Amino acid sequence: MGEGIGEGGPLVRGTMGIVIILALLLASLPIIMTYSTLILTSFANTIVSSPWVKFRFTLENWRLFLEGKLAPTAGVVYTPEDILRFIVNTAIVAGGVTLVVLAASVTSAYAFSRMNFFMRSGMMRLLILLHAFPGVALIVGVYAIYVFLNSYIPRDYSVYYSFIFVIIARASLEIPMAIWILKGFFDRVPWELEWATIVDGGSRLTALRTAVLPLVKPGIAAVAIFAFLAGWEDLIYVLVFLPPHEKTLATYIESQLGSGTLETTYLPVVAAAGTLYLIPTIIFFVVTQRLLLETMSGGLKG
Amino acid sequence: MRPKRILAAMLLVALFILPAASAGLGIIASSAAPGLTGDFRTDVVNLGKYLEGKGVNEVKFSVMAAGDPNSVLRMYGIVEGAAKINKIWEEEGINVRIKIDTIWEPDFKKQFDNFVAQYELGQNGDFFVNSYVYIATLVNDDRLLDITDWVKAYWDTVFSDFYKPLMEAAQYKGKYYAIPQDTEARPLYIRKDVAACMGWNLEGLDEKVKAGEFTWKDVYMKAKEAVDKRCSKWGLIHRKGSAHPDLIQFIFAFGGTLYNPQTGKLVVDREAVYKWLATEKAFADANLLPRDILEWDWATQIHPTIVGEKGTLFDIGGTWYWTEWQTKDYYQDPKTGEKRPLTPQEVQEKFYYTLFPAGEPGKDPVTLSQPFMWMIAANAGKDNPGYDDPEMRDAYQKLAFLIVVGASDPEINAIHSIISAHVPVRKAAAALLEDEQWIQKLRSLDLDLTEETKNAIREIVAKTADPINIKFLASVSYMLDYTKLAPSHPYYSKLAGVFKDAVDRVLKGQSSPEDAIKYIENKVKADPDLRGNVEFKGTIPKGWKLVEETKPAETKTEAQQTQAQETQQATEQAQETMEETATGQAEEEGGFPTALLAIVVIIVIAAAAYFLLRK
Amino acid sequence: MARRGRQALFFLLPMLILVVAFYILPLILTAWISFTPLTNWRVRDQLDDFVGLENYVNLYYLARYDPDFHKVLQTTLVFVTFTLFINVVGGLVLAILTYLIDERISLAYRLLWLLPRMTPLAVFGLLWYYFFYGGPQGTLNSFLLKLGVIDEPVRWGTDPAMLPYSAWAIIVFVNGLVGVSYGMIIFYSAFKNIPRELIIAARVDGARTWEVIRHILVPMVRWHIVFVTVWQLLSLITSYTHLFVLVQWSVVDKWYGTTLALYVFNTAFFDVKNQGFAAAAAVILVIIGSILGLVTLRIMRFSQMISPPRGDI
Repeated sequence: MGEGIGEGGPLVRGTMGIVIILALLLASLPIIMTYSTLILTSFANTIVSSPWVKFRFTLENWRLFLEGKLAPTAGVVYTPEDILRFIVNTAIVAGGVTLVVLAASVTSAYAFSRMNFFMRSGMMRLLILLHAFPGVALIVGVYAIYVFLNSYIPRDYSVYYSFIFVIIARASLEIPMAIWILKGFFDRVPWELEWATIVDGGSRLTALRTAVLPLVKPGIAAVAIFAFLAGWEDLIYVLVFLPPHEKTLATYIESQLGSGTLETTYLPVVAAAGTLYLIPTIIFFVVTQRLLLETMSGGLKG
Repeated sequence: MRPKRILAAMLLVALFILPAASAGLGIIASSAAPGLTGDFRTDVVNLGKYLEGKGVNEVKFSVMAAGDPNSVLRMYGIVEGAAKINKIWEEEGINVRIKIDTIWEPDFKKQFDNFVAQYELGQNGDFFVNSYVYIATLVNDDRLLDITDWVKAYWDTVFSDFYKPLMEAAQYKGKYYAIPQDTEARPLYIRKDVAACMGWNLEGLDEKVKAGEFTWKDVYMKAKEAVDKRCSKWGLIHRKGSAHPDLIQFIFAFGGTLYNPQTGKLVVDREAVYKWLATEKAFADANLLPRDILEWDWATQIHPTIVGEKGTLFDIGGTWYWTEWQTKDYYQDPKTGEKRPLTPQEVQEKFYYTLFPAGEPGKDPVTLSQPFMWMIAANAGKDNPGYDDPEMRDAYQKLAFLIVVGASDPEINAIHSIISAHVPVRKAAAALLEDEQWIQKLRSLDLDLTEETKNAIREIVAKTADPINIKFLASVSYMLDYTKLAPSHPYYSKLAGVFKDAVDRVLKGQSSPEDAIKYIENKVKADPDLRGNVEFKGTIPKGWKLVEETKPAETKTEAQQTQAQETQQATEQAQETMEETATGQAEEEGGFPTALLAIVVIIVIAAAAYFLLRK
Repeated sequence: MARRGRQALFFLLPMLILVVAFYILPLILTAWISFTPLTNWRVRDQLDDFVGLENYVNLYYLARYDPDFHKVLQTTLVFVTFTLFINVVGGLVLAILTYLIDERISLAYRLLWLLPRMTPLAVFGLLWYYFFYGGPQGTLNSFLLKLGVIDEPVRWGTDPAMLPYSAWAIIVFVNGLVGVSYGMIIFYSAFKNIPRELIIAARVDGARTWEVIRHILVPMVRWHIVFVTVWQLLSLITSYTHLFVLVQWSVVDKWYGTTLALYVFNTAFFDVKNQGFAAAAAVILVIIGSILGLVTLRIMRFSQMISPPRGDI
């Protein structure tokens, strides 16, 4: 078994590797089944919940969805909505949250890993305990702050204000998690590397940027994907803080399946919306994984 | 240099004082906004002149509306109302125009959330078009404008034409806060082919139901007959989940109430609720109604069963079912095996419809409506100059009311009814539905509407303005005379949710109707919102049955009747004692989790203290 | 000393501002709100109305009189314990397995397992609704019927005969699928951070796969295991969204699918937005959660791990 584990190759080969792959396949069956339902239904005229359901293949659902015609009723007529705008909004929120989370957590995690300061251990504990507070209750307090600040914002800028607010507020919820994850990665990076930079006259910030960050790319990948997902799928913050006509894909889909609309919703079109919703997150995942994980090899020499 | 300085200082002072003084003078000099006379044109002209005099040339409003895409007139109705006013101003040479921003949301519950969350920010719609159920909550929160005086001014010219129960629904504590926009009825649908199969002539049935001669007892008998004769698989199908308004009809059909106007509290009427639950149980026990109906799937089970071959004899649904069946692929064509929507003709051939029958002889038939309303936010006009001046604000809010008057135009109401399968709220609109000429005009959109609205509804009109469907809507309008409304109370929907859980328990055989009522009582007692807002009324009619299965229709002798009365009294007494015990039981039942909770908390705190203090 | 403090502050500042403004401040506000009658977002009118302990008394009433409350407690206990186990151990297993195999296949699997987390909540409800649907057209039913395992369709999460275990199994399973990806991604990234030479060297020395896992992989991610355990524990105690859709779509029985957090949400938010009451419940939940969290940190010897920072000048 010890053969061929050079750079890049799998660590387990042969029979064992195949067994693992098959075991994973078996365990993944429910996921595969449910998501096949979703994707097939988006191309069908009815809900394809099992392989024995008779359905007609159609691209109609996709056409309707992309034209923004999600909900049909009497007479199969639709009122279109601006899907492109919803997609852009979702991307703005998700991207914004990712950036804010990374910016705020990388430096802090570095400080927690490398410096000693007042209440260091207490703060680490506090950060994780903050998570014990349910977001749904927290939001009323965040709302009060939003209302208070809003009175200082000129009306013409209120849309920008609400976007910035929703991004920062949502990002704050992810920061404790990001710091904890990243600290674990920073702790693994040998101190000598930065020391070399600092001895050469660089500041700690330079040391962090040039010597340490390249080595914690996998940690950044993990944090980025969770931050991105948090922004991409957020419902409640977007619902409360963005003006009602500025929807994201998540709130748009949600509004089609809410308790007030469920009865008359045409599910195949929602399936198309759900499938499309997944695609950007898949791309983001694959790109971050490729960029940030693949190049990792070696680490410290000497 | 000195005088210059003094001059500069005086100028500075003047700079500050003058605007303040002029503002002060302005307030003193500002005249009150003209009152409303009840004549639309006069009021529009007066208000327009007033605003023009104040230097206002554009008035901005926004509307938040919700519903399925076919209900766009909830939004464009306001646009049309404003367009009518703009047109009058143009004709009179008044240089003021109204501009309307629109905000749409498919789910009306979500739009309510939006409205309340945005209100604190001043970003809510000036108009809010939503279900009447929110009026109570919004009025209690000071979110809606009191329009009582203006409604009175327009009573003779406009509002006397509205169906009375709907105008009552627009009130809260004796004042008007809304104007009805649309409504619906919930008929009992009967499959004509299944009836024919069992040899049942439906002719004149609607009259019998109206007279209270055909009751739920008869529904049960017919349903049983249909299933026994294998004409259909089920006897009755009804809605599920949050769609409980249909089932609430049972409470009214058994003569019960849900609200006590004296105390302002919700009511659990034990007798009516018991009879409702016992009826559900009777249907489920006889396999006429699926035990898991509350879990059935809309798209793959409920509708396909209703429209399918030999599905069910009866169905409780809404008027919107009529077009729902024409929209989606629910019907499996026996010839081709393909799934497809029904055509209007087929729907008409398949379905008979009546009021929701009386629960038992001596009670009345009902239907239940949940009308949508035009509401005006208490901060309407907030986006306009001079809003902080109370007089100007008054003018903007009167203008908002006039827009709603314009939106209540019979034509708009009739078009909305047709394209969204709702029932008109006023008689003049109902009359239009029977006006062939007008319908012709509607088809070609030869009506006095803005281009914006015409474009929004063109496609929808082409698909929905079908003579059969219009006739259906016209023919169910009479049901509004029988309509009941669930109370507009902030906690009603929560209580209805408890009812739904109770029905589910009874249908699945987890509870007897008696236990289910106990369950409702305990739930109400536990809930912080319901506890102080619900009162209980009446007793459980022990031994009541929808139908006496063992001895059918046997006339009782006088002796038997007295005996029966005595037994009933005895049971009532027993009932009261039982209730006391039940309360005691409930407390004991509650003892278990509390103790458990206490123990868990103590253990957790002790453990935590140990770990934390060990060092 | 002062210089050092300033330097640390410089690095921590962005985080401190955000956490204080959007976490700590709202948290204090929420504790405050728990003593007010706040409903329907009326922060301007109601933030200074005080009702004393009324919201807490109401909570007590709810626990004492609600006939379904003991079901909720049992469900919470079962749900948190078992789902936490799946999330941590399952995540670790998945991360190890995907780390061992070929990268392209691994990426596909990781993506597959991340899907449940990526799915919009409403669609997630829709998917599992049809998977466990009680009619013959439900995915699970249709397969089992074809295979002859069952004769007639089973109402998986709601049949009174199989309650409560069936409903519990479903909520643990479905939430496990969502939660497991969290540990998987974090552990996998941590494995990727281990210099490959280390493992190759061990392999050259003749270490078996199992030994590599036990002596290299797992010890290297201890910090991450502590984090994932505590984090997921707190998540499971306070989050309710995925359970909410399962209950709303009737995938599972209403009460054997409801945990404390969801129960509070339904009582305080679903029909009536009773935010004062929700805040009181949140305060109680946070007390329970903090204590459990601290205990877990203690058990997992957190303070030993956090001790001395390296490279402190």
